Amino acid sequence: MGEGAGPDGRGELMLALLADARLPTGGHTQSAGLEPALRAGMDPARVPDYLRARLATVTRVEAATAVVARHVVMPDATGCGPSSGAAAMALAETWHAWAARTPSAALRDTSQRLGRGYLRLLRRLWAGDPRVLALDEAARLVTADHAADRASDLGRDQARGVEGSDDESATADGRGRAASGTRNRGAQPPRPLVLGVTAACAGLSALQVARLVGYEDTQTVAAATLKLAPIDPVDATGWVVAAQPAIDALAYDVAPLTDPRAIPAHGAPLVEQWAEIHARTTERLFSA
Amino acid sequence: MTTDTTRVEVHASSGRVRLDLRPGALSPRVLSTGPGVARVALVATRALLLGGDDVRIEVVVGDGVELELVEVSGTVAYNGRGRSSSWAVDVRVDDGGLLVWDALPFVVAQGADVERRTDVRLGEGAVALLRETLVLGRTGETGGRLRSRTIVDLSAPRHPRDSRAADDSQQDELSVPREPLGPRTADGSRELFVEDLDLRDDRTLPGILGDGRVVDSVLLAGARPPAAGGADEPGARTPSYLRLDLAGPGAVARHLGASTHDAGLDRVVAAWVPHVRTTRPDARTGETTGAVRADRPILQTTGA
Repeated sequence: MGEGAGPDGRGELMLALLADARLPTGGHTQSAGLEPALRAGMDPARVPDYLRARLATVTRVEAATAVVARHVVMPDATGCGPSSGAAAMALAETWHAWAARTPSAALRDTSQRLGRGYLRLLRRLWAGDPRVLALDEAARLVTADHAADRASDLGRDQARGVEGSDDESATADGRGRAASGTRNRGAQPPRPLVLGVTAACAGLSALQVARLVGYEDTQTVAAATLKLAPIDPVDATGWVVAAQPAIDALAYDVAPLTDPRAIPAHGAPLVEQWAEIHARTTERLFSA
Repeated sequence: MTTDTTRVEVHASSGRVRLDLRPGALSPRVLSTGPGVARVALVATRALLLGGDDVRIEVVVGDGVELELVEVSGTVAYNGRGRSSSWAVDVRVDDGGLLVWDALPFVVAQGADVERRTDVRLGEGAVALLRETLVLGRTGETGGRLRSRTIVDLSAPRHPRDSRAADDSQQDELSVPREPLGPRTADGSRELFVEDLDLRDDRTLPGILGDGRVVDSVLLAGARPPAAGGADEPGARTPSYLRLDLAGPGAVARHLGASTHDAGLDRVVAAWVPHVRTTRPDARTGETTGAVRADRPILQTTGA
């Protein structure tokens, strides 16, 4: 019951589907920060420690965001879903909470790029679901917030007598991504937000979606290690198995969360630094 | 054990500023005041920070006022001999206000166990620039345990309708919906930056701090800093620090490393402070204090 798997095992099957690397969401382009970590000089023997660090920090934020996003679009005990307006507002708040806890524009961009792949699945497989519509509406709300932020910046530049926006020159050297990523089109929901809504549609429990995020991150690092360092694939798989208690502890910690403000905010300063450097690196095997 | 509260509150009052200062573990001393501007020093009144100390600093900056806080010495959290300590900063900057606090290093000595908390609430058009230099251990030490949490909230309504109506062409281009956005939360505020740095047992893991023992940060909240790599950002070509542009109006410049102090972030402060001063909404009215502010030298800190 608490696991939320339906009597037909639908939750378990959907969990297997969503955790499968063959899912067409572009996961093969990702190393979960491992490539920049190794470039920065991390010894491949420390990958298990790197996994621990992620599960305690950025992956925790991601898992908690997915759990809260799932919660805010779920029907309550009476079977009544939240009104689509309320669900959209709550999703937008969850989105802002994630963004506030992800100070690196490189990490936000990566998550939003990955979110697009999951969004394509969600829109096609659950077309017309009110929860999908709520996510679209949340994107409109966040787009409007970003536009309002820019209007405020513009007012400041006018006050200062600056011609044109500072962001234009920033974009030219690729460092104005914070503003430019969502500049001329609608805001792109980050992966954990899309995953949370997908979990609601697919019938996953909060615990399942949290485990999914933890497992996926760990497996991404392990698989990427094989392409970057001479490691026996069985050893890499062993790291994932060894991380299981940490993944489960993370899942139990975040599964009860319902309030966007309660999403943990554990930062990993080096992961952020490496991600920013990697985003400006041209010769690389993985996009992030 | 009682909490020891220091309070600095400043409001505009008939062309001058009115200060409400309450000494606690730190004693606030007025360095200078001018029309809508105040500089206040925070001076430790006793040995800080000892095990069992709960230091709290409350700062309120009224509408349109600029407050600069100046520290005369860094802070060392000493070995608490099994007792933890806390350092909590509660900042409120009202509409159009500016707080500049280029704080000196906060050193967590061997055996210390410290909880730091920085809560910032910004009104409409309000800006805060805060320096936080966390140093784990004095020379030769690996340092104590530190958890440092920062939460910055933007009040709603952050953007009144008239500020957007000012540029209709841009609005059409962006297809901004015309209906009000509505509050994000019960109190209508929106989180800008939330970070919980857990620098206790796991901080040496790869990806958190590794071998580093210094996290030196400049947080600008409520406004975007000058363009990265722009002419007014010295050292931007080969920065010794990382610039994190937040999703909302703000940025963090951060240096991670082994050294106690990085001059690159002093230059960031020196570049960002004049930028936010000249882009404050009241600068638009061309009030007389503008020239005074622009001419005033930026406080240079030398660190510990």
